[in-house]
Amino acid sequence: MAQHVTNVSQTEEVSSTRRVIAASSVGTLIEWYDFYIFGTLAKIISEQFFPKDNPTAALLATLATFAAGFVIRPFGALFFGRLGDLIGRKYTFLVTLVIMGGSTFAIGLVPGYKTIGFFAPAIVFALRLLQGLALGGEYGGAATYVAEHSPTGQRGFWTSFIQTTATMGLFLALGVILIVRQSLGVETFSDWGWRIPFILSALLVGVSVFIRMKMSESPMFVKMKKEGKTSANPLAESFKQKDNLKMVLIALLGATAGQGVVWYTGQFYALSFLQNACNVEFVQSNLIISIALLIGTPFFIIFGALSDKIGRKYIMMAGMLIAVIAYRPIYTLMYNEADLKQKTEVVEKTTVEKKEAVKGTDTVTTTITKKTFTDGTTYKETKKETIPLDEAKKAALAAAGKLKPETKKEATLPQESYYKMIGLVLIQVIFVTMVYGPIAAFLVEIFPTRIRYTSMSLPYHIGNGVFGGLVPLISTRLVEATRPAPGLPPADPLAGLWYPILIASVSFVIGMLYISNKTNNMDVE
Amino acid sequence: MSAIKKLFGIVWSLMGIGIIPLVIMQAMKEIAAKPSEENWIFWSIVIVVLMPIIAFSLITFGVFALKGEYDVIA
Repeated sequence: MAQHVTNVSQTEEVSSTRRVIAASSVGTLIEWYDFYIFGTLAKIISEQFFPKDNPTAALLATLATFAAGFVIRPFGALFFGRLGDLIGRKYTFLVTLVIMGGSTFAIGLVPGYKTIGFFAPAIVFALRLLQGLALGGEYGGAATYVAEHSPTGQRGFWTSFIQTTATMGLFLALGVILIVRQSLGVETFSDWGWRIPFILSALLVGVSVFIRMKMSESPMFVKMKKEGKTSANPLAESFKQKDNLKMVLIALLGATAGQGVVWYTGQFYALSFLQNACNVEFVQSNLIISIALLIGTPFFIIFGALSDKIGRKYIMMAGMLIAVIAYRPIYTLMYNEADLKQKTEVVEKTTVEKKEAVKGTDTVTTTITKKTFTDGTTYKETKKETIPLDEAKKAALAAAGKLKPETKKEATLPQESYYKMIGLVLIQVIFVTMVYGPIAAFLVEIFPTRIRYTSMSLPYHIGNGVFGGLVPLISTRLVEATRPAPGLPPADPLAGLWYPILIASVSFVIGMLYISNKTNNMDVE
Repeated sequence: MSAIKKLFGIVWSLMGIGIIPLVIMQAMKEIAAKPSEENWIFWSIVIVVLMPIIAFSLITFGVFALKGEYDVIA
């Protein structure tokens, strides 16, 4: 009888934990989806809201793309983390979800620059900041909430479901964009169809809010509140008390900074590298990343569960070390796989098509060159040259060096190369799962309940938002530095990898020296 | 082990201190060579956002390590 009661109780506990995981994960996934559709559609958004001929608007474009990820996320972590430690986890991450969903939906409705002028980029900029603020508050809350519901000894396993949400959010964003783009056609999508993924967010957030409303508060927080042990000032307690500050620093330098660069390199930089260095066509490059993400996602749970058995430290550190060693060989293989100089062209299949049209006060010449290679690769180069009909204007633009043609290069890889690319990106996603799968449990376990939301959110969002979020910017810059002259290819297309390699190396050394591996079965108090 | 941790504390602190002039000099050099808006934005982000975080966290972490604050964690 006693055995039966124990079994029923255990089944109820597992079922309750599953409900908590599902409700938390769906909301967090939607927040990541909301955050990533802006980044993935950055080019279209820039054209709609941030016209190139207006320097202030162009500056805002840059800030909008980066500021939310870098500066605002840690502020969101502080603001909502403090609220979460004062009033509770449940209501705080419910608020972040509503803010994120509301601002994403609103971006989809903002009229373009052509309609409302400068207000358009200003409104979008403000909404993007709200997105970053909300994201800064969401993750820490979700991870804390799930961890505080999880049984001791299984925290890595249960929190790993939260860890899948960032990757699945990116996958969902890429998937929705690809489906809408393919259904409407490229022109309609660029015109107004891009708004659909933003507007769709309202529906997703509505469902998620409904689910989260039914959830109960974290049992540890409720207990602590009943006992009157909540922190009166979580910010001061987290960052002014030496014992907590030193844990914040070790979490940042020994874990989240390295994890952040590995995360962004394996997913975002890989996509950027495929599209810009390898010139892989838009749909194919997005499919490569999406498939690799989908296959790699279960590894978050595998490594999360494994960390309950062997500890968090060695899995995270192994992920960083292997990434540091393997990045350059992996990216060399990716580059070689798409490098047209290493392929043999089937010259008789090459076609060149030239069109000339007068559009307003300009002559637009479009030259489309199509090439086929013996391995099955096809290549399309579209060169668009816009020259003013007015000779004086033409001379002025030529003198300013602004008469350069716009060139778009697209290579479509044959099946064998396509699968190889998926494999090479998948390896990087596995590194991501190693460093990211156990990290929520690791962060939760090093901070006490009374300041956990605040303390774990800040190093997480600095590590991911600042160190990780800067990967595209710094890596692109490092590659550009090797370009001998404008218009010529960079001498070292892999130079961008030095930034993640350096940060992950430092993080690895600090993590190995200073982080304990004894946290996997500790009680969270 | 704790001696190594303390010794590395010096390394982290020096790295944190060293990064400040290094980044500022590089920024000045690149902006002087090409004072474009792109250059200004890039170096502003690095100097205002990234550098202070790296410098502050490495210096503080290094000092804590040097004082033996992390010896008990192992």
